[in-house]
Amino acid sequence: MSKTSEYPSMKSRTLTVTHDIPISKTKIYWDGLKDGKVYATKCKKCGEVYYPPQVDCSNCLTSDVEWIQLFEGTLETFTQVYLKPQGFTHYEHNYMVAIAKTAGGVKVMGWLEYIDVKVAKVGMFVKIAAKIMPDGFPVIIFKPK
Amino acid sequence: MRRVAVIGGGNSKFGVRSDATFPEIAFEAVKEALEDAGVTQKDVELSVVGTVGSRLYEMYPAPLINEYTGFTSKGPIRVEAACATGSAAVFTAYNAIASGYVDTAIAIGVEKMCEVDTATSTAVGGRGCYLWEFHMFGTSFACYYALFATAHMAKYGTTEEQLAKIAVKNHYYGARNPKAHFQKEITIEAALTSRVICWPLKIYDCCPISDGAAAVILASEEKVKEFKVQDPVWLEAIGFGSDTGNLTRREDYTSLRSARMASEMAYKMAKVAPSDIEVAMVHDCFTIAELMAYEDLGFCRRGEGGRLIDEGQTWIGGKIPVNIDGGLKAKGHPLAATGCSMIYELTKQLRNEAGNRQVPLKRYLALAHNVGMTGQYCYVTILRR
Repeated sequence: MSKTSEYPSMKSRTLTVTHDIPISKTKIYWDGLKDGKVYATKCKKCGEVYYPPQVDCSNCLTSDVEWIQLFEGTLETFTQVYLKPQGFTHYEHNYMVAIAKTAGGVKVMGWLEYIDVKVAKVGMFVKIAAKIMPDGFPVIIFKPK
Repeated sequence: MRRVAVIGGGNSKFGVRSDATFPEIAFEAVKEALEDAGVTQKDVELSVVGTVGSRLYEMYPAPLINEYTGFTSKGPIRVEAACATGSAAVFTAYNAIASGYVDTAIAIGVEKMCEVDTATSTAVGGRGCYLWEFHMFGTSFACYYALFATAHMAKYGTTEEQLAKIAVKNHYYGARNPKAHFQKEITIEAALTSRVICWPLKIYDCCPISDGAAAVILASEEKVKEFKVQDPVWLEAIGFGSDTGNLTRREDYTSLRSARMASEMAYKMAKVAPSDIEVAMVHDCFTIAELMAYEDLGFCRRGEGGRLIDEGQTWIGGKIPVNIDGGLKAKGHPLAATGCSMIYELTKQLRNEAGNRQVPLKRYLALAHNVGMTGQYCYVTILRR
């Protein structure tokens, strides 16, 4: 694991960490991704819209929300990742991370369906979809319209 | 609030420090700081230890750092504010003295990042918003700042060449700093043709992954007199700011609101204007971060950061010399060490002890801008001698 060096070193004992993350309160969101849909939440009391979705309203402190689907947006910015972090090195393509603003005002992060960075443009319209990758992890996909 | 001065500073060599453990590199910085201040551990009442610690084999590093540097009975308070941890340590030590709680305190920033491989370090670092960003999209800090670079380029016409010019400047000064991780100059061509990390950022747009430590000793005005400190550097103001944890909840991607908040607060407290500042250390974890700092700190108007570097205004001899120690870009960015290292360098500058990197000063006013994550935290500190 450590970098090779002229100095002597020794290996630590291995620590493997995987978390079981509770999703009871946001299950609609995670299930939606399996169906290709991306949801935000809207507070029934004060009308605040949240993306990422949350069932507790940070604004009025109530916990009664409705789920609203996000369909499309315009690109605010994007990048293409060449140096991938651990957990993503098995993906062969250099994925493109982007942020799109929806008509309702909330912004969504997603992977921009591969196009050349010279072709991608801030302001471009994208459809917001989702899928499960072959390794079982979900991802949101932006498809240029 | 009582006045607080920096009475000493120390900085270990930054770089891949495979020769030393985290307490051992902390020792280098603390020893230099104590000798610089002309005091011993018993003169210091409180120890504040800043370390992010996420790449360490040790999960509770502060007591070990404190013990190894001879401060066992003096705290520690451990602080963490991502890449702004060093400034959070200085802020904590400052407040303990300003409030009258203690008369002397040390802020120690230590980070050991190179004991794990790059993919692991990038993954640990990228987990700044795990559930909604990293889990699905494999974000990293290079990725986050690349998103800001793309937006800035689209809105203001900022170019990859302008970003490269910032790297060239910081490598030029790093080559003159014996404590810097990288001590070699680079050319614009080399920067522009270097390996892409996260488009449009290339490897020369990114700070290295470094090990290092820095420490500063602070004292009340009474103690400054008692210790007969010849040239105290006064902490005139520390402003703080913050922004959303989720990047999708930001107003835009061309500026850091936390930096604007922190600098407005600091300028107001110190009763100075951006044009009064004569030398600045800014948080150039990526070249775009330095360019945004020019604008967020008011050294130029929004959208004119590219022009400021084109005109050479942030070199020594320009309107506002920036990162003339090499910055995070060339000196290195051992997370928690960075904020303390900025104060260390500015203290040297304000005492006219910076040698071949000395900025000619008239007003003796300096500024440090230390950002945590992508603007989730920011501290802006103004110093005066």
